[in-house]
Amino acid sequence: MKRISTIFGLIVILSMLIAACQPAATPAVEDTTAPAEEAPAETVAAEEPAAEVVYDRAETLYVSGAAWGPASSWNPFMTWVHANTTGTVGLLYETMFQFDPQTGELTPFLAESGTWTDATTFDVVLRDGITWSDGEPMTAADVVFTFELAHQYAAIWFAPVWNYLTSVTAVDDTHIQFLFTDPLYQEWSNNLINIPIVPEHIWSAFSEEEITAGANENPIGSGAYLYETGADDRNVWLRNENWWGTTLMGWVPGPRRIVDIRTASNNIALGMILKGELDLSNNFLPGIATLEDLGYVQTYFNDAPYMLAANTAVLFLNTTKPPMDDPAFRRALAFAIDVDTIVNSAYAGLVAPASPTGLLPSLGQYVDQAVVDELGYTYDPEQARQILADAGYVDVNGDGFVEAPDGSEIALEVTCPSGWTDWMAAIDVIATSAQAAGINIVAATPDYGSWNTALTTATFDMTLNNWANLSNTPWTLYNLLFRHPLQEVMGSGNFGMYDSQEMFDLVDALARIPTDDLAGMQAACSDIQRLMLTDLPMIPLWYNGLWAQYSDSTWTGWPSEDAEATHTLPSTWAGYWQLGGLNTLINLQPVPVE
Amino acid sequence: MKKTNEFIYFAFRNKKVLVGLTIIVVFLLVGLFGPLIIKNDPFAYLNPMGAQAPSSEYLFGTTFFGQDVFAQFVLGLRATFLVGVIGGGLATFIGILVGFTAGYRGGLVDEVLNILTNIVLVIPGMAVLLIIAAYLQVRSLWTECIFIGLTTWPWVARAVRAQTFSLRTRDFVDLARLSGMKSTKIIFTEIAPNMMSYLVMSFILEFGGAILTAATLDFIGLGPTNTLSLGLMMQYSVLWGALQLGFWWWFIPPGLAITAIVGAFYTMNVGLDEVFNPKLREL
Amino acid sequence: MFRYFRRKILIYLLTFLIAVTIDWLIPRFMPGNPVDNMLARAQLNANGLEIMRGYYTSAFGLDVPVWQQYLNFWVALFHGDLGISVYLFPQPVAEVIGRAIPYDIALLLPAILISWFAGNKFGAFAARSKWLDNTVSPIAYILTATPYMWLGILLAWVFGIVLDIFPIAGAYSFSMAPSWSWAFVGSLISHWFLPFLSLFLVQFGGWAIGMRNMIIYELEADYSHYLEALGAPRGLVRKYAFRNAILPQLTGLALQLGVIVAGALVTEVVFSYPGIGYLILAAIQNQDYFLIQGCFLFIIIGVLLANFAIDIVYVIVDPRTRRGMTGESA
Repeated sequence: MKRISTIFGLIVILSMLIAACQPAATPAVEDTTAPAEEAPAETVAAEEPAAEVVYDRAETLYVSGAAWGPASSWNPFMTWVHANTTGTVGLLYETMFQFDPQTGELTPFLAESGTWTDATTFDVVLRDGITWSDGEPMTAADVVFTFELAHQYAAIWFAPVWNYLTSVTAVDDTHIQFLFTDPLYQEWSNNLINIPIVPEHIWSAFSEEEITAGANENPIGSGAYLYETGADDRNVWLRNENWWGTTLMGWVPGPRRIVDIRTASNNIALGMILKGELDLSNNFLPGIATLEDLGYVQTYFNDAPYMLAANTAVLFLNTTKPPMDDPAFRRALAFAIDVDTIVNSAYAGLVAPASPTGLLPSLGQYVDQAVVDELGYTYDPEQARQILADAGYVDVNGDGFVEAPDGSEIALEVTCPSGWTDWMAAIDVIATSAQAAGINIVAATPDYGSWNTALTTATFDMTLNNWANLSNTPWTLYNLLFRHPLQEVMGSGNFGMYDSQEMFDLVDALARIPTDDLAGMQAACSDIQRLMLTDLPMIPLWYNGLWAQYSDSTWTGWPSEDAEATHTLPSTWAGYWQLGGLNTLINLQPVPVE
Repeated sequence: MKKTNEFIYFAFRNKKVLVGLTIIVVFLLVGLFGPLIIKNDPFAYLNPMGAQAPSSEYLFGTTFFGQDVFAQFVLGLRATFLVGVIGGGLATFIGILVGFTAGYRGGLVDEVLNILTNIVLVIPGMAVLLIIAAYLQVRSLWTECIFIGLTTWPWVARAVRAQTFSLRTRDFVDLARLSGMKSTKIIFTEIAPNMMSYLVMSFILEFGGAILTAATLDFIGLGPTNTLSLGLMMQYSVLWGALQLGFWWWFIPPGLAITAIVGAFYTMNVGLDEVFNPKLREL
Repeated sequence: MFRYFRRKILIYLLTFLIAVTIDWLIPRFMPGNPVDNMLARAQLNANGLEIMRGYYTSAFGLDVPVWQQYLNFWVALFHGDLGISVYLFPQPVAEVIGRAIPYDIALLLPAILISWFAGNKFGAFAARSKWLDNTVSPIAYILTATPYMWLGILLAWVFGIVLDIFPIAGAYSFSMAPSWSWAFVGSLISHWFLPFLSLFLVQFGGWAIGMRNMIIYELEADYSHYLEALGAPRGLVRKYAFRNAILPQLTGLALQLGVIVAGALVTEVVFSYPGIGYLILAAIQNQDYFLIQGCFLFIIIGVLLANFAIDIVYVIVDPRTRRGMTGESA
């Protein structure tokens, strides 16, 4: 018995060691023999001496809530895998501009300045002295190369910029000139904070496949951190001591190392942050309100909703299916949904109800309050019943639910992906409150894949979606809500196939207004909002929070609403580094050891 | 039928059977009559305070959203018994059918059925269930029952086949065959009554097994999408941080109930074994 | 003996054939398109989307007729090629699974074997003494009736949260990089312990009860009474009973494998332990056909190999099979 258990002990330890010490991601190779059992014992001795077995707690920042899956790609153009290695754009590769959603300002980053010298010419001055992590200097040629890639390969997400961009030229090492035909100012300004610049001397050797879908395992970027290592449940980033931000601007991100943890479920992050094992959690954690009030964790606001708003949860209605094709029905539904219960029970006060326009508080200046007052909606089941009755929706068969004017029964489903716990609770409330108003809706939670297929092929009844991230322009949201032209598969917006040429024209008009023309943008937004609230093709419900709870057991300098604190976004999500996430890191200081 | 009475007599004198039966009946009664005592909607957000420990108002406390845990528990119990009866029943039925056919017919039929049984036995049923469940968009309790029934029968089939095999060559069966009885009639009038104990015990074990399988599926998030079960309660409690926030009243009752019910079935099974097998009685 | 093995191997081959076919079939005829799902969040323009879809569709081999996909599946299988993961694109499935397998071996092998040995020992003891039977047996009943995940939850709650002795997530500390050092080994073991314990305990209960009942059966069998009547020492009778009882327990082990594997899957989910169970859940949630198929295949192969190993042990332990007497019953 004893001998047996000794042998088992050895097997256990050895197999786990082998598992752990395998590289997390290696290039795709043909040879796929599993190395587990046959690893020879010699490798134990041959292994290089461990440099740092345990990371120094005082120099390490532990974060979670960003990575969706194990790291598999460091390609800055594959936006759909960024969620797994969230720092690919932001920590590794960088953009020309940053945007501060709190002040609404576009701030130069890689670029020193960017100006419209006339209506169709945009001049960028690149900072002098930026280097790639392999020591090569970044020049205007790299920027030109990056844009030319999108010219060459339609599979790169910003390729459509070439519909209105005619040329990109490097005037000298630090000057770049963009010439346009018919500039979409709104889209362009959004591109400036999202297009990552890649090094020409590395990427010019890549094939089309490598550029559009390659894993880019050994990334050479310009950013503040280097990808050190990873496993299926973590990414480890090491500070780039030669970062241009430090040498040119004096910015030093506090943590020498960032361990980005992928927790299988949010509750594990909750346990870790309570123990101080986690410094910043960007997970949605139920119960955080209580814990904040007790002082266990910090959040941006000291009171409800505690979190900054990140995006708007919108209930998309499939306008191709009856009765959702009837504006009166849609309007009645908007009055029938009890958003307050969603906010207070499903989220325990961690979110705030959304403006009927769907625009985030940070874009509040584009909301036309007069239009909202006239056409907006609030939870009012009586009003919902009234609208239904007026439009001919009455309960014919006495089952408590209304039938369509033509007498057919109405039985609808509201969906969200299975496992998205907060949304699952929210659609329960939607279904229950709609039922109370006489509309027969049940909640269903298919798996993400089937949900997604239904979403993009408009085979759902109604479903939640929030794919317009915090942005510098209201156009981003409208581009999601009223994406056009309509196609068989609507992959990235207008999932309910709302078909209104008038609306599409209005959104296109907004896209063409220069970003500094506030009055023009407001007028265009007002037109959009009037039509949107008249037709109600989708119903904005609440603002999903920029979930962030932090512990100051090891790091201080976290952002908060307090006047003396910093106000950057405390987020590690993909796409948020350039919206203040990086600045949050720069503001962090280690807690002095007593 | 004197034999049956004898069994019932011994069954009610067997401690294991009594204990098991009592536990099962208590839970069954709670499942059946619970809603008459507590009329709360299991899904309604009742308690504005959110999660609260058990109190006189909420017998088992409330969930993170302020839902009544006891109301959910009762609904979950019903689902659990349903899965046990339908899922376990179906598995037993298929198993008996295959077992009788294979054991009585013998020859090629037996060979084919035996291979089939062995194949289904070796393929991990849970893995198949996982895959099927994962691809079904809307899952109901009934589909769960059916899938469990369809994947867990081979165990019964093997046992029944072996028994039938040994009974087939007994004199009384030969006699029946000589007198021109039909095969089905022989199986049901001559063979089945002589292995009733086996069949009852098979059903009991399948009942418990089905409950555990369903709980596993539910916990992974592949359970019914339109109702509540004890496994789903456990899943929700874990997802909403009940462990970290110390809401023990949310995750203890469902697991405890499953353990108690399944444990009671197993105990009863051993007790019945002693009843049917007089040699074991003295212990 | 050869007849016995020939038959066994035939059944295993057939099982493998059918399992692989099911494995290939199920995902393909279910709704949903993995490529579309993957690109859903790409926010590409229509043109770019078409190009990427075409690229991925051919990369995953979905652009040929269905029958050819099936044949290709077999051909690739024999080359050890399980395709490319959708959700971890562009990593090969075999590699992803290869990373998870050692954790499963570390968890399952000791849990199964130790619980089997220990359970049988305790079961035999329990059958021997009234006192043990009244204390150990009820506990064993409770353990074997406990759903794996609930025991896992309880252990995680008590030891991970209330007492805070053991970590409850991951395979090793988040503050460590893998290395061949004692600190790292310690971290591995502390993360491994709770999932192992919950697997061990549930199975232990099952084997203990099984053994106890078997021994009692055997002690009441005619040969035991005969031996006793002949005046054989009690210990000898017990020994024979144990020998005979161990055979059904061995068969039981083979029968239980599927259930144990299922238990391991949920236990890994409870403890976020990065084995196949954890992987299969992620694969399902992300509709990763190829990863699901790969995981399923590995489970099948694992269970078949384990069954075969048990068959061999059975032949060694039971002399009757060697003489080809019981080829029928197993």
